[in-house]
Amino acid sequence: MKFVVCVKQVASLDEEFELLEGGGVDSDFVEWELNEWDTFSLEAALALRESGEGEGGEVVAVTVGEQEAEEALLACLARGADRAVRVWDESLQGADPLAVARVLAAVVERESPDLVFCGVQSSDAVTGSTGTALAGYLDMARVAVVTALSYDAPSSTLTVDRELESGLVEVVRIGLPALLTIQTGINEPRYATLRAIKQAREKPLVTYGLEDVGLDAGAVGVAAGAHTIELQTPERGAGAQLLDGSPAEVAARIVEIVQERMSG
Amino acid sequence: MARDPKYDVLFEQVQIGPKTLKNRFYQVPHCIGAGSEKPGMQAYHRGIKAEGGWAALCTEYCSIHPESDDTSRLSARIWDEGDVRNLAAMCDRLHEFGALAGIELWYGGPHAPCMETRHNPRGPSQIASDYELNIFPRYMDADDIATVHQMYVDAAVRAREAGFDIVYVYGAHAYLPFQFLSPYYNRRTDEYGGSFENRARFWREALYKVREAVGDDCAIASRFAVDHLMGPVSIEAQKDGARFVEYADDLVDLWDFTVGDIAEWGQNAGPSRFFEENHEKPYSGTIKPGNHTNKPVVGVGRVTNPDTMVAIVRSGQFDLIGAARPSISDPFLPKKIEEGRFDDIRECIGCNQCISRWEIGGPPLVCTQNATAGEEYRRGWHPEKFHPAANREKSVLVVGAGPAGMECAMVLGKRQMEAVHLVEAEREIGGCVNWISLLGHSDGRPNLHRGTARGLGEWKRIVNYRQIQLDKLRNVEIHTGSRLSAEDVRNYGAEIVIVATGCHYATDGLNAATHAPIPGADTSLDWQMTPDEVALGSKEVGRRVLVLENEGYFMGASIAQKLAGEGREVTLVTQAKEIAGYMEYTLEAPMLHRDLHRLHVDMHVYTMIERIEPGVCHAYNVWDPEHKHEFEVDSVVLCTARLSNQELYREVKADKGRLDQEGIEAVYVIGDASAPRMIVDSIFDGHRLAREIDSPHPEMPLPFIRERRLWGEASNEDYLRQLANTADVALV
Ligand SMILES: Cc1cc2nc3c(=O)[nH]c(=O)nc-3n(C[C@H](O)[C@H](O)[C@H](O)COP(=O)(O)O)c2cc1C
Ligand code: SF4
Repeated sequence: MKFVVCVKQVASLDEEFELLEGGGVDSDFVEWELNEWDTFSLEAALALRESGEGEGGEVVAVTVGEQEAEEALLACLARGADRAVRVWDESLQGADPLAVARVLAAVVERESPDLVFCGVQSSDAVTGSTGTALAGYLDMARVAVVTALSYDAPSSTLTVDRELESGLVEVVRIGLPALLTIQTGINEPRYATLRAIKQAREKPLVTYGLEDVGLDAGAVGVAAGAHTIELQTPERGAGAQLLDGSPAEVAARIVEIVQERMSG
Repeated sequence: MARDPKYDVLFEQVQIGPKTLKNRFYQVPHCIGAGSEKPGMQAYHRGIKAEGGWAALCTEYCSIHPESDDTSRLSARIWDEGDVRNLAAMCDRLHEFGALAGIELWYGGPHAPCMETRHNPRGPSQIASDYELNIFPRYMDADDIATVHQMYVDAAVRAREAGFDIVYVYGAHAYLPFQFLSPYYNRRTDEYGGSFENRARFWREALYKVREAVGDDCAIASRFAVDHLMGPVSIEAQKDGARFVEYADDLVDLWDFTVGDIAEWGQNAGPSRFFEENHEKPYSGTIKPGNHTNKPVVGVGRVTNPDTMVAIVRSGQFDLIGAARPSISDPFLPKKIEEGRFDDIRECIGCNQCISRWEIGGPPLVCTQNATAGEEYRRGWHPEKFHPAANREKSVLVVGAGPAGMECAMVLGKRQMEAVHLVEAEREIGGCVNWISLLGHSDGRPNLHRGTARGLGEWKRIVNYRQIQLDKLRNVEIHTGSRLSAEDVRNYGAEIVIVATGCHYATDGLNAATHAPIPGADTSLDWQMTPDEVALGSKEVGRRVLVLENEGYFMGASIAQKLAGEGREVTLVTQAKEIAGYMEYTLEAPMLHRDLHRLHVDMHVYTMIERIEPGVCHAYNVWDPEHKHEFEVDSVVLCTARLSNQELYREVKADKGRLDQEGIEAVYVIGDASAPRMIVDSIFDGHRLAREIDSPHPEMPLPFIRERRLWGEASNEDYLRQLANTADVALV
């Protein structure tokens, strides 16, 4: 079996940061890392490959991103992915989920995997739409927000759980090929040993431009629907009161406030 | 980052007599094991704190004359020109950073056993010390009083010559001036005893004379225990305490307030186990708000929280934030507050290991949180500066994230090793601290004296600080919930492997008293258990419990406290002469004993268990083994011996061929995994290895600078001239 895992290098902000004019965060205050959801989707793919059913499969990690995004791919290779593909073109600067999905779709079509894994969302942009848009472009069956999965080889079907409101679980059976967006907590992502991290550098990692995957900048531009105008911090809400002092003093003050409110 | 204006108040200048403090952070006098004998240690320990932003740093108590000699403990001394020279090194160092230097002039009275000088201390009344064994002072007549006053004056003049800016007359901890003031010590009937004015006379005169001598050049300070915590038999804050402050206010430029005495000075240097932050507030914190003084006041109370500091100053409790332990644990506390780096503050955990070394007699101080404390000069360690390791391209695997492993990985990270992996079997990092910090509680009721068995929760700061630091280090990865086998370690791809897998309690009663297991001891049985099983609640404990305590530190007593606090009948047995002997050194013992007594814990010292049977422990007296005793019990807790978890280390190390094959260049073992020890020493061990990871033989500590006179090195003439000038030799 062949698995494509779509991943993203996300920005994580320091506690304190500064915004740039025109939408963006000063890169001094940003650290880059593999999107947390993607660690779970990668683990799901690796686990499936290692289980009896998926044995012998290949796991390909794919990202759309600049040179630095190779860190995310190396993290996937170190954890056990077999190959990695990065696609980039300057026209993708600031691309929205639809544009990214359009590019990913081109890669997935060339790889023609049995299963495509995405994270439910990315921790920095939080649109939660790339996976679903990708399924749309691929015209592929999709299950979103997956919290458990098992594969039945004879019938080539997947049984997956989805979490609904009020603790309900929807159990879905689905044939291949299919696309799953994976929720955190579905498994325990493995980590890479120092040796695996070193060896990751030896694994194949190719970089494509848009034309390499049969796209032109125009097509991607058409796909793109939205772009960021500005980032801003919310106004500090009224009604919050900050208490100063030692823990004991703060606690005493809270008790007072609660008593005031309850008696009033 | 710029300072939050909220904390601006902490950085205001304060005038004390002729001197100006640049901010409100003040290191009160505390011992470090340097005195005047180790000028390098003295200068660099205080100097690092001056660099870290403290406005003033004081010596430890500093003897003014050979007849106030505290040997076997270690004080500073300002007896002669040699001491002036050695202490000047500290003053110079502090002045380089714009900090003031304070000296705490000390005359101990009967609390000074004079074991080195063989003088005889003088005191207000001839009552033996309540702290020393069998030390009686000589009764001071009017001549003696004048003589001792002159000792203060001469010492103050020498202190000024050394470069000190603040000169104390030390009257806290029940030393001589306080002995005159307190009717508990002072039974005199002359003009130095009886009425308040008479009892206060000695102290007032000492202050007056010191002020006359050096007051134009130096700020005059006095340290005063405003409450002896003994009730009406001695000084009480609201009575003679406040009154004395008013009475001597004109003679000081700075008051330094504390509580208690030396016999139980854990009431002042309160361990976190019983006392919370700012615990002296009900006593020393009432003097300033009660308008009893017009002078700046410094006070203490293990204050590490910047918000508490602001509250203290704003409420008028104290003008200066005094700190001993918070400054040991984090010499850069002021700088970190100034720079808004709150999550870098290494908060004191209140374990009092620092104090234990003074209590033991004067080895260099240690600190659980700050492994560089005391090492600033002799090992050249800086708490905040780490030079890049020469072998930083080597990848490192640290197995086990307890105290030693966390510290080691953190320091390796700070030394810019390119890749450090810290791998922990449990879900959380912290090792034994995670369960030890659950102990120390009993039933939550106030103790007999003051304070409560509030537990060792603050010890968790060991983990919190390191977790935060490790999370910031991009070159260190932490992986939890991953138990590595020897084969996993070999295949890990690390060039340096550091094993920090901790230790476990003996399950068969193996102990230091008999050097053998105890027949019948077996914690695989459901009614016998190890302390960690009790702490984590993994076994049912019966109504009648016997706790066997062979370790001599906090474990057995803590288990007894917990179980008794939960309502069980507890028998606590030790082969030693006292329960939890080391807690005498950490000053936790008095409060511990009040709690154990209150909880009706039945204690048996000099007692050992020879055999355990269902329902009964057979005991004997260690001095008279034929003297037997039987304890009927439902459960037994064995705090006997600890054993290193060494298997991983041994197994990995054994196969030399594989090590070569896998590119593993070195395998080290640290902390409890090497040999069980106290947490303070595990952290030191991890720190030491990381500091010296690029030395020729990292497993062997590098030699440190030893401060001693060298025969032949300095000047033999020096030694011989001194000998020649001694009375007997000169005569011959
Ligand atoms: C290691 C150590 C040694 C001390 N030695 C002295 C001393 O020599 N003279 C003195 O007046 N107080 C001494 N103290 C008491 C401190 O000055 C202080 O009053 C006490 O520790 C409470 O302050 P803290 O809570 O900030 O530690 C010592 C404290 C420590 C921790
Ligand atoms: S040894 Fe313990 S009590 Fe002393 S300063 Fe360090 S952390 Fe605080």
